[in-house]
Amino acid sequence: MSGKQDRAVIVGGMRTPFAKAFGELMELDTIELGVTAVSALMRKLHLDPRQVDSMVWSGVVLPPLSVNIGREIVLDLGLPTSVEATTVTRACTSSLAAITIAVSAIERGDADVVIAGGSDSTSNAPIAFPTKVTRTLAPLALSGKATPQDILGALSQLIPLSEVLPRQPRVAERTTGEVMGESAERMAQRNEISRQAQDEFALRSHKRAARAIATGRFDDETTKVQTPKGFVHVDSLVRADTSLEKLSKLKPVFAKNGTITAGSSSALTDGAAAVVLMRESKARALGYAPLAAFRSWSYVAVDPADQLLLGPAIAVPKALDKAGLTLPDMDIVDMHEAFAAQVLSVLKMLGSRAFARERLGRDEAVGDIDPDKLNVYGGSIAIGHPFAATGARIVTTLANELHRTDKRNALIGICAAGGLGAAAVLEKV
Amino acid sequence: MTDVLLELSQNSFARKLVAGAKLPIPMPERLTRPSGPITERFLEGQTVLVSGRGGLSEVLARTLSRAGATTQVDSDALGSAFAGAAEAYGRPVQRIAAEPVVADPAKKPSKVHALIVDATAALTPRDLKTVYAFLHAQLPRVAKSGRVVVLGRPSAQASTLAQAAAAQALEGLTRSVAKEIGGRGATANLVVVAEGAEARAAGPLRFFLSSASAFVTAQPLQVSNDASWDNSDPVEKPLANRVALVTGAARGIGAATARILAREGAHVLCLDRPDDDEPLSIVAREIGGTPLLADVTDPGTASRIANETKSLYGGLHLIVHNAGVTRDRTLARMSENLWDQVMSINLEAVLRITESLLEHGTLREGGRVISLSSVSGIAGNMGQTNYAATKAGIIGFTRKLAEQVKGRGITANAIAPGFIETRMTAAIPIVVREAGRRLSALGQGGHPEDVAEAITFLATPGAAGVTGQVLRVCGGALIGA
Repeated sequence: MSGKQDRAVIVGGMRTPFAKAFGELMELDTIELGVTAVSALMRKLHLDPRQVDSMVWSGVVLPPLSVNIGREIVLDLGLPTSVEATTVTRACTSSLAAITIAVSAIERGDADVVIAGGSDSTSNAPIAFPTKVTRTLAPLALSGKATPQDILGALSQLIPLSEVLPRQPRVAERTTGEVMGESAERMAQRNEISRQAQDEFALRSHKRAARAIATGRFDDETTKVQTPKGFVHVDSLVRADTSLEKLSKLKPVFAKNGTITAGSSSALTDGAAAVVLMRESKARALGYAPLAAFRSWSYVAVDPADQLLLGPAIAVPKALDKAGLTLPDMDIVDMHEAFAAQVLSVLKMLGSRAFARERLGRDEAVGDIDPDKLNVYGGSIAIGHPFAATGARIVTTLANELHRTDKRNALIGICAAGGLGAAAVLEKV
Repeated sequence: MTDVLLELSQNSFARKLVAGAKLPIPMPERLTRPSGPITERFLEGQTVLVSGRGGLSEVLARTLSRAGATTQVDSDALGSAFAGAAEAYGRPVQRIAAEPVVADPAKKPSKVHALIVDATAALTPRDLKTVYAFLHAQLPRVAKSGRVVVLGRPSAQASTLAQAAAAQALEGLTRSVAKEIGGRGATANLVVVAEGAEARAAGPLRFFLSSASAFVTAQPLQVSNDASWDNSDPVEKPLANRVALVTGAARGIGAATARILAREGAHVLCLDRPDDDEPLSIVAREIGGTPLLADVTDPGTASRIANETKSLYGGLHLIVHNAGVTRDRTLARMSENLWDQVMSINLEAVLRITESLLEHGTLREGGRVISLSSVSGIAGNMGQTNYAATKAGIIGFTRKLAEQVKGRGITANAIAPGFIETRMTAAIPIVVREAGRRLSALGQGGHPEDVAEAITFLATPGAAGVTGQVLRVCGGALIGA
């Protein structure tokens, strides 16, 4: 990495409230959500649009006709047309990937000021027609010369109807066909994570998020959003009033005798989150107080047919090694909560000496994470999980935490579809 | 050369008819064979039942957990030995009762893929009682194409007479179990692990538990520390970046071997006679290998192989001496010419090529020499004095070679195929052919691929514990056992 003065720093972050899919934010598509988060962030930072070099955005459910939503956000925001943009997609690690790409660009000297983040509107996921429909009808529609006979002939090929109706969107692995919750359910069984442990974890997520909201902890990292139906001010999935009793009554959703419920899973969510990254010297020249900087990161992948969401157990030790730090050096940890079972599986493996020896080739366990340091303001189960906004949400919350408190180091762990995993170490600037 | 009985046995009506009428017709079970490359979690979803707390617990725990097996153990001691690996791979072990709950006869016990008995701690014949009790209770649970693996210690290393007797007893037991479960297409094999060679048992264990060993049954396999080893034991694509030479690669076992070595990542030099240019080119092209037209009996061939592989690839990692012929006559009618031909192709060429590879340092550190012997070479066969002599000769050659090259991490092993369905066996008269097929534990002939899988196993880095051995791929043939 380049010299300390030249490193990239996080100057600020902002997100929309997160809302359950088909809920409060349904009227806004992913581009509009992105525009909302970025414009609020720029307003907060009083950032002169002419200082922005580029945008690295991310999304998981991307609109088919405008996949590079980063560029659409730039144009819709009225930023200078010279602000170039790219859009990356890396499942639930997407916006962390966008941010670290931005960091790389700055540290390589390609840019001084980059906006990075991600958005997803699961409510506006395009309904995909099966390939058979597209292949049968598209040539007719596009040729412009089809006769009624052609059309009838083509339609007759689309019988039986069950094959051609739009499919219910599922968060399923393409290679294994397994819905993510099923993978998480298998992880719960294989790592012997009890229903009670999951419910307790979910409860803590809700209680902590509710307290964070009540105490205003998210106030200056969340913007209100205007929708046709009015303003949305606050994360709508958090349940301050939930209890172990309520959670324990929920039915398992992914297996008959399973342990995972809607209460211990993150929900399909709409939302966006953005951060502004600058070269440190540039930030100081512009009068900004940098919040934090990346000390290291690590992206990994595991076999999706084995334990789909175990990636962070491999990525965390790698990122720590690169940072030259150990788990006890971390003052605060944020693990993306796809499912309580997945976080608990990862935590168990990080604390397992056998795992360290067999899977990481090291003699000692990576370490146990003190629950008082982990997801202290709740996590994706309570706050929600717009796929490509979660990474930027976490980076923002941790960067603010490092800036405001005497904490020095923060750790991020994110699991993702496809067996992907990511970890990053942030440090106070 | 369709095996009519094997086809017939696939028909459940025919099976019932034969069983019901108590007809003396064998109904062999179709064997489950590999459908692709070796995979890390080849036991995913399969139940493996383990008994016996011996020296192999740790290796078993790691091998089974990593392979994705659902492991059941019959003692707490074994359960705790498995705990670490089970946690690391997220495969919690299930504890089952040591004594079978005496079953409701109406209720069929659930099937298991494999039974494993670690009898390495057996010190006296008395200690075998637990092996008996376990197999007595659990053998009926072994599924079709299932596996029984018994683990023991070499009797030669025993410190008492009782220990030696107990160790060797396992061989008779295992061979007999193989015969009892062969009708199900299931196999039973014994892995004899020398003290201190435990880590090297993982590769052989995977082989015997997987479908790659479909036609290997009733065999003891010695695992030793004889050859040096760098501890590498890749499971998937174990032959990546390795250069292999297969002689007689145009057809039959040679072609199958070339294909399966390539499937596991090897670059294969396919050697055969110039007359077989066409079939050889087809094999080589299919697997992205390199055809090498040469006559193994040509005195120049040995140095040509050594020089070319050295200059083109920097050396050779493994050679499979497969090229061979039969020229059958009873001894009285065998001309000198027939004797010489077989001797020259099957044995003298092997010696010459191997010596040349070793002399020029072409065969690399950690290399493999795998030579085709034959059950005929072990048992002898009518009309095959010349052939059997060469195939027995291969065994002598292999044992001595293993001794000579162990310091360089090179292993030398022989494969002895039994009745394999090839062009060669299709030419045998039907009565003899039927006898060849049926007089075995599995009651059927093998495929060239079965031999190729065994060769490929011996070629892997994980087979470093196996050297100087003769591995039979014979379906548990009665002759020469």
